[in-house]
Amino acid sequence: MTATFPSRGQVLSAAPTVFLILLTAIIVLASPGFFSGSTILVILADSVVLFTLAAGLSFVILLGSIDLSVPAVASLGGVIVAMLIPSIGLAAYPAAILAGAGAGLFSGLVHVLLRVPSFIATLATGGIVSGMALWLSSSRTVTIAGEYRHVLDPVIGDSFGIPRIILIGAVVCLIGVYIQRYTKFGRAIRAIGAGESAVRASGIHVGRQKLIAFTIAGAFAACGGALLAARMTSGNPAGAEQLLLPAIAAVLVGGTAITGGTGGVGRTVVGTLIVIVMRIGMTFMGVDVFAQQILFGSVLICAIALTLDRDLLQIVK
Amino acid sequence: MSLKLENVTKTYGPVTALANATIEVHPGEVVGLVGENGAGKSTLMRILAGVVQPSSGAFTIDGEPVRFSGTLDANAAGIGMVYQEQSLILPLSIAENMYLGQERRFTKYGLIDHAAMREAARRNLEKVQLDIDPVRPASELTFAERQMVELAKALTLEERDVERLVILLDEPTSVLEQAEIDVLFARIRALKDRASFIFVSHRLDEVLEISDRIYTMKDGEVVDERPAAGARESDLHEVMVGRVLEHNFYLEDEQEPPQDSVALELRGLGSGRAYRNINLTLHAGEVLGIAGVIGSGREALARAVFGMERPESGEIVIHGKVEGIPDPSVAVRKGLGFVPSERGIEGMVPMLPVSENISLANLDSITGPFGLDRRRETALAREWIERLRIKTPGPAAPIRSLSGGNQQKAVIAKWLNADSRILVLDHPTRGVDVGAKHEVFSLIRELCREGYAILLLADTLAETIGLSHRVLVMRDGEITADIPAPAGDKPSQTRIVEHMV
Amino acid sequence: MAPPLIALIVATIAISLYNPSFLSAANLGRVASISAIPVLLAVGATFVIIMGSIDLSVQGVIALSAAITAMVLRVDDGALGSVLALGAAVVTGIATGAVSGLLHTLLRIPSFMVTLGMWFVSAGLATLLLGGGTIAVRSADLRVLILQRVFGLPLSVWLVLAIVAFAALMQARSRFGRYVVAIGGNEEIAKLSGLPIRRTRAAVFAIAGGFYGLAAALSVAQLGQGNVDIGDGRLFTTITAVVLGGTSLTGGRGGVLNSVLGVLLVTVLGNGMILMGVPPYLQQAVLGVLIILAVASSTARIREGVYK
Repeated sequence: MTATFPSRGQVLSAAPTVFLILLTAIIVLASPGFFSGSTILVILADSVVLFTLAAGLSFVILLGSIDLSVPAVASLGGVIVAMLIPSIGLAAYPAAILAGAGAGLFSGLVHVLLRVPSFIATLATGGIVSGMALWLSSSRTVTIAGEYRHVLDPVIGDSFGIPRIILIGAVVCLIGVYIQRYTKFGRAIRAIGAGESAVRASGIHVGRQKLIAFTIAGAFAACGGALLAARMTSGNPAGAEQLLLPAIAAVLVGGTAITGGTGGVGRTVVGTLIVIVMRIGMTFMGVDVFAQQILFGSVLICAIALTLDRDLLQIVK
Repeated sequence: MSLKLENVTKTYGPVTALANATIEVHPGEVVGLVGENGAGKSTLMRILAGVVQPSSGAFTIDGEPVRFSGTLDANAAGIGMVYQEQSLILPLSIAENMYLGQERRFTKYGLIDHAAMREAARRNLEKVQLDIDPVRPASELTFAERQMVELAKALTLEERDVERLVILLDEPTSVLEQAEIDVLFARIRALKDRASFIFVSHRLDEVLEISDRIYTMKDGEVVDERPAAGARESDLHEVMVGRVLEHNFYLEDEQEPPQDSVALELRGLGSGRAYRNINLTLHAGEVLGIAGVIGSGREALARAVFGMERPESGEIVIHGKVEGIPDPSVAVRKGLGFVPSERGIEGMVPMLPVSENISLANLDSITGPFGLDRRRETALAREWIERLRIKTPGPAAPIRSLSGGNQQKAVIAKWLNADSRILVLDHPTRGVDVGAKHEVFSLIRELCREGYAILLLADTLAETIGLSHRVLVMRDGEITADIPAPAGDKPSQTRIVEHMV
Repeated sequence: MAPPLIALIVATIAISLYNPSFLSAANLGRVASISAIPVLLAVGATFVIIMGSIDLSVQGVIALSAAITAMVLRVDDGALGSVLALGAAVVTGIATGAVSGLLHTLLRIPSFMVTLGMWFVSAGLATLLLGGGTIAVRSADLRVLILQRVFGLPLSVWLVLAIVAFAALMQARSRFGRYVVAIGGNEEIAKLSGLPIRRTRAAVFAIAGGFYGLAAALSVAQLGQGNVDIGDGRLFTTITAVVLGGTSLTGGRGGVLNSVLGVLLVTVLGNGMILMGVPPYLQQAVLGVLIILAVASSTARIREGVYK
């Protein structure tokens, strides 16, 4: 009984960082020109959208649940921003985030009240939401016209020589880490992932916490989609389709277990960097773009196999 | 076929579930097996059924030593088990359930001949006089019918190459009505020329009625063997509970009379068949013990008080105010705390640190101006660790790395930290070693002195009597007795058992 | 099987009241043709879902099998090449499914995560094989499956019907089929009864893969090309069909024929919505609502326990 302390937890929290450093070292050795100041900024800037999605997803995965609606919600967020910027300007961003929160809340209600397993509830919500995105956009990519580009400036411009999106990413990170580490809600969802029955028997309203987690995941997803739309200067109703796997991979590679209970938003930062460095490194080293997806799938399976706490699963379905 | 276990011991880590047990089953015999919860009956049955393997000792059939590596081996030797919890796969048909894993016998050209299987199943159902179409799914059967199907399933073993059967019946009557029990007993008697039976039940009258010979178990040992003829329930009670305890084991000397103020009152609480019309009053500074066997409804009642399950009728009154307790979050707000029997599942979150487990029921206690304050949390945990003498490498150690007794103290600390003045303790000393038990007892006494009110479901009757100010006895969902247990004038165990069974 | 059948009948009546041409022979033939591929997918997924597991790799397996099919046909688009291409598609599907099944059982990883990973692995492989492009398929021999009509229905429909009959028989009468139901019904008891749990679980994923592979070959024949997006949207409709057909996600309940009904229901609703002028993108939303209702009604009875 005493053997598990403290090895497993410490290994899990240190491994991703070690892996990131090793990965970077390999790339630097293979192509010494890789790490200039400007590439670092590019890497960080490219990480922000993915990180925002993954940070929101971290809350749901901490519960031991999953959210497959992330790409659909992100796409919807992008479409909303692109469509509303001409009429309401900057307020389009909060509008998009609010819509995402609504979609997340809907998933949560279906999951909690109707007792539908989260993967199916979010798969269905994803279907509904992408239907909405297609409907709103009439199945076309909504381009943000040149005259409104100034509204995008807060996202795509530079401050102090640093792309502003990196600063936004830092703010998202701070908010995410604060919610997860310093609020009662954050504590509750991690405990729910680790042992739901005991949390319920400690007087915590489990269903409410789950609702909040899915709502946050939706809000973060839409926020990521809005940022993506700003960078692309258009909102594509299917624009974030390819981001589901990297987002899940970022969370899990960072060391948050798919069974829930261990991990957090902080680890997702590391996980996102691993995913992005892998991708950019592979491109830089001339690895086929198409091979990358195979690698992601494999890395995902490995990360799950390594972080999974099998004590939590009596029967593996 | 005669079957014998000789000096069989089964240990799980440091825990001895079965110690030097010796029993014999002769052909055509019904052997009763009785004992309190945790006396080792289930372990014994599981060894016979091949589900678990003994740590040491001899298991022989007709003098030949046997070693089972699973239930299939036991089946092949003619031993079948009828489980207490239903073990039919509901979507499958009755026939398919009876021959699960044996389909090869009915397979032609790779296809199962359902008609042949159905006929075979029907033949076995006839042995228990159950007239039911075996193609019906098991989900359509009543509990009593399922029990009979399981018995018929065990009888299919006759079709194998075995001389006689031994059928293990683990609490087969717990879900049955009296009429159904009569039918079951009639079947068992009729089948005695085909099979021997081992019959486990909490209801001693049933055991006396059906058995030829009765073994009594206690603390993992077989302590008594006697023919059923001429035996009385009270004789069995005595051997079941009889143990001379050292004086003051339960700190009776520290027991002080409760206060006058009423902390908790239940008025006419009921929920289906589980418990009915329960009225009780719990005072501040009082330990109210509830005694009863499995199926008496005391567990469900305790859980209902804390909002884990919803009662169908009645009122819960806390400090004189009628309160609806729809779920545990409301219970905690109203000042209740619950130490559940399944500590690893409901009592604590095993992988989280001791500190986080202690603060879980009252996160406000560690909330500072900027949200959760980890330093405050650690300090608070240290305070409780010191006060309750919890042995842990530190507040950050995962709670699962602690011993059972220290885990339990941390669970209690959680409720003290949440300022819960009414505590429901469901088997608080389960999986706790003797030394730590003493500390839990001492803590209970201390809490009483401070005015906490405690509803106690103890592991053993001795513990119930020793710790409680008053003992309520439940049987079949109703309170059958309210027996005072003041220090110095504790009631005898037999007096309580009379009302239990 | 009653509720989905009733739903199907009600939907049929409602739509034909709105637009009588729905019941025309031509339109019903269209419904049958449209349903062929989804039925294959749903039947494969049914075995997985009855077991209480889930398979999210449908689209990836289709993409990979389609890529292989197209590549075989590029070498030889004659009769032999067509037969080989069909076989290669099925074998590819089985192999991919087997990998999922083995990872799931040997590493004890929940099926939905393994198959999510395999979805992307196989889609990535397909992209790699196709170089991101599309391979046009002009094989007249393969396209016979789609174009040749027997008794008014394409050959592919008859092929699928034969396979459904075989699958239904396997489910009802083979030991394997019954073990799948037993595992889904109660894995603990199945294990105590000595059933080969791991082998059965792994085999189910492989068989499901085989179904997806065949579906991929038919898709290639239908579209006349192989590309990575060929299976897009199939996962959602497949799971919707299985669940609407009455196969419960908790395992043990349902069957191959249920899923056929489920597919018909989805197709009829889709076809009806087109006839009624509902925009195609709203159909997905409607299906999303339906899947929630179907799952919720099947889990409503279970009030206790943790679900994630």
